[in-house]
Amino acid sequence: MHKTLKTYAFQLGGVLCLSFAFCFLSTSYAVEITKPAQRIVSLLPSLTETVCALGACNRLVGVDRYSNWPESIAQVPRLGGGIDPNIESIVALKPDLVLMAGSARGVERLKSLGLAVITMEPKNYADVQIALGVVAKALGVPAKDSDRVWRDINAQVEEVSKSVPQYAKAQRVYFEVSPVPFGAGESSFIGETLQRLGAKNILTTSMGIFPQVSPEFVVRAQPDIIMVGDSNVSDMQARPGWTNLRAMRTGRVCTFTPKESDVLVRPGPRMVEAARLMSQCLVEKSVAQAKQNP
Amino acid sequence: MNLNKSNHWLFALKMLLLVAIGIGIGVSVGSSGLESLQNAWHDDVAWKIIWEIRLPRTLGAFAVGALLGLAGALAQGLFRNPLADPYLLGSASGATLGVALALAFYGGNQFAPDAYIRVGLTGAAFAGALLAVVLTLLLARGVQHTMRLLLAGVIVGVVMGAMASLIALMRPDVLQNMQGFLLGSTAFIGWSACLVMVYVLLPCLCLAWFFGFAMDALSLGESTALSLGVPLRAMRIVIVLLVALATGAAVAQTGLIAFVGLAAPHLVRSIVLVKNGNLALLSALMGGLLLLLADILARSLIAPQELPVGVLTAVLGGGYLLWLMYRNQDQGGLR
Amino acid sequence: MTKSSTAIKSSNLHVSLNGQKVLHGIDLQIRAGRWTSIVGPNGAGKSTLLKALAGLLEYQGEVFLFDQPLAHLKAKYRSQQISWLGQNEATSDDLNVWDVVMLGRLPFQDWMAVPSAQDKQAVEAALQATKAWDWRQRRLGQLSAGEKQRVLLARAIAVQASLMLMDEPLTNLDPPHQVDWLEQVRYLTAQGKTVVSVLHEVGMALHADDTVVMQAGRIVHQGACADLASHRAIETVFDKRIAIQAVGSEWVAIPSSLRSI
Repeated sequence: MHKTLKTYAFQLGGVLCLSFAFCFLSTSYAVEITKPAQRIVSLLPSLTETVCALGACNRLVGVDRYSNWPESIAQVPRLGGGIDPNIESIVALKPDLVLMAGSARGVERLKSLGLAVITMEPKNYADVQIALGVVAKALGVPAKDSDRVWRDINAQVEEVSKSVPQYAKAQRVYFEVSPVPFGAGESSFIGETLQRLGAKNILTTSMGIFPQVSPEFVVRAQPDIIMVGDSNVSDMQARPGWTNLRAMRTGRVCTFTPKESDVLVRPGPRMVEAARLMSQCLVEKSVAQAKQNP
Repeated sequence: MNLNKSNHWLFALKMLLLVAIGIGIGVSVGSSGLESLQNAWHDDVAWKIIWEIRLPRTLGAFAVGALLGLAGALAQGLFRNPLADPYLLGSASGATLGVALALAFYGGNQFAPDAYIRVGLTGAAFAGALLAVVLTLLLARGVQHTMRLLLAGVIVGVVMGAMASLIALMRPDVLQNMQGFLLGSTAFIGWSACLVMVYVLLPCLCLAWFFGFAMDALSLGESTALSLGVPLRAMRIVIVLLVALATGAAVAQTGLIAFVGLAAPHLVRSIVLVKNGNLALLSALMGGLLLLLADILARSLIAPQELPVGVLTAVLGGGYLLWLMYRNQDQGGLR
Repeated sequence: MTKSSTAIKSSNLHVSLNGQKVLHGIDLQIRAGRWTSIVGPNGAGKSTLLKALAGLLEYQGEVFLFDQPLAHLKAKYRSQQISWLGQNEATSDDLNVWDVVMLGRLPFQDWMAVPSAQDKQAVEAALQATKAWDWRQRRLGQLSAGEKQRVLLARAIAVQASLMLMDEPLTNLDPPHQVDWLEQVRYLTAQGKTVVSVLHEVGMALHADDTVVMQAGRIVHQGACADLASHRAIETVFDKRIAIQAVGSEWVAIPSSLRSI
């Protein structure tokens, strides 16, 4: 009886090894993009906006459920989100290019179905520039056009930063991205915009791009201004010790509507509008300060 | 003469019929409905949808359900506890941790080098599940005491789950994907996934059937089983590894789908009287059918959108068990 | 194959459970083809001794089964030679009676073998002996405690082993079935099989051929049940709270307070 047990144990071991190997060797088709993509599926809002910024909005045949800008894509079919893209719907649309975040699910699956997939998840300005270039190339948009788009974005952000008055500069800002809380660090695109607007970020580069912050840290850092989405504000007020934050007591909290939040957290062509929103906040809330401390 | 044998065959046959019907339905529903089926002969994309998306997904759902059902029956036989499920030995948390680690390492470079895609989350999940069970075995120092094994499994599960949560919180991009994994989905199963699962399912089924007699003896008590010459220790190790293998293979493809492993053996026992060997096989069949149905409903109820399949398995399986419980109250309730 | 006259012999047997010594240097001989009952107060170590003799526990010292060292026997051979009936073991409610008793034939079945004609005969004989044949298709969960016990007994009988070790086999059995059991044991010993039982009902234990009297992990007396020395030993280990007297041709144990002067 023990001999049969041994043979079965060996069989089991063999199955183990082979299935291990199988899992590692899942076929991955690298599909080359040889001609400009005409039917595009975008599963990341910032990439959707990038495509539109390059003038190819009409080539979008499918987007994710969170993409909501510009208005012209209102009728484009929604295909799920980052966690649950609808594979069948995507394939049914016969796209020749799929843009999605690298951390989204289904990248492997879509590739194995023979679709051309480009994964990107821009985290800072440099990434956005690269993303513009990559998407432009895939769309067949000439490099000079994408370069121009990028220069425009940069120039306009510069303009906004120049318009920030002196008294609104050098303020210490805490930008909360989501209620865990996650904040925008210096090295994120949000942080970089703030930096260009002359603000200081209480979350330094060493803490990461979008670090999870300990509420206590924020209390100790005593930021001058807090920027947060309005659906998260009540959450903030409930945090122990936070009602004592100088910024909260003096009302120097900028809350943003969901539409405005969308603009702020997407690393794409609307970073200019994001800069405007942020500079507006910096000016408004510091005017209050200027008035209080003449 | 064991009169119930004819019941078994009849039952198995009925189930296989349902499975076949299920596969047929599975191939016809989805975001584009029956159109794809009708157009499949002349439309390339429709053919692709049927053959490369719906068929492997449907068969894959059956395979995952079968693996989970089998693992559930084995776990319940091993621990002699009707509440045991295949995730008891820490395999679920191990798979989650594997996925978290893979996502964390991958997410560093967002321009996706092909190597990471090839390794894939499936490999990481599978490896994680197996390593967790091995850790459980080491912690319990063997399989002599099922109580210790259970406890070790719980500990490993909790610790690894905590580690996975830690990683997810440190990296917000990982968090989102992890939630997807934890929710469980049959949407991403392709042909290679199906092949892997079938390749794991078949030997697991055979071995589970072989050990049926030993588990029957075990149900009479440990001393009795030992006195009958059952190689208890070897058997336990093999069963633990089988559970790990089956669970790992299933979880690697779909994430965590709850309830199938727990419910399938109960569903079978409520319909036919079976010994452990046949229970394992029929649980596989029942689990596969359950997930197959859940998958069909998941993508057809609110097409073209999809419901999470884990919710549907709970509703289907749980609902049926509940109905049985109330119906059989005079027979002493659910066994 | 000639069997020796000693079914089981133990020499300097020590057993510890959970770090505590339960059996202290047991030297014991059980004669083949006879029914031996092990008696003693609670905690004397009777069940532990039986388990050790069945090879189900770790022990120090030596145990010989038909003059062969127990530790050296292959599991399959041992399982064919010894049939064990445990006390209060878990049962699965799902198996039916026939399947349960058929499990007793496991030691003779090859891996994945279909039950042979001999197996079926053994199962039928065992079920008839315990008068459980008529409900062989019923589920274990549907039986009363006494009926279940008879099925478990049948399972032990089905092994048709030369040595049967039974721990409290009369649990839950009502008097008529206790008598059935007695008859069954007599029938088995008449066939040359050896039966060793742990019984806490002293009256029943006195029906055996030989007795082993235990107290606190040691053997106080071994001998024939009919010997007066055995009776005195039994009375002693129970603190003389019982008295053994003859009633007709049988011995009975009576609580001391009811003893007739």
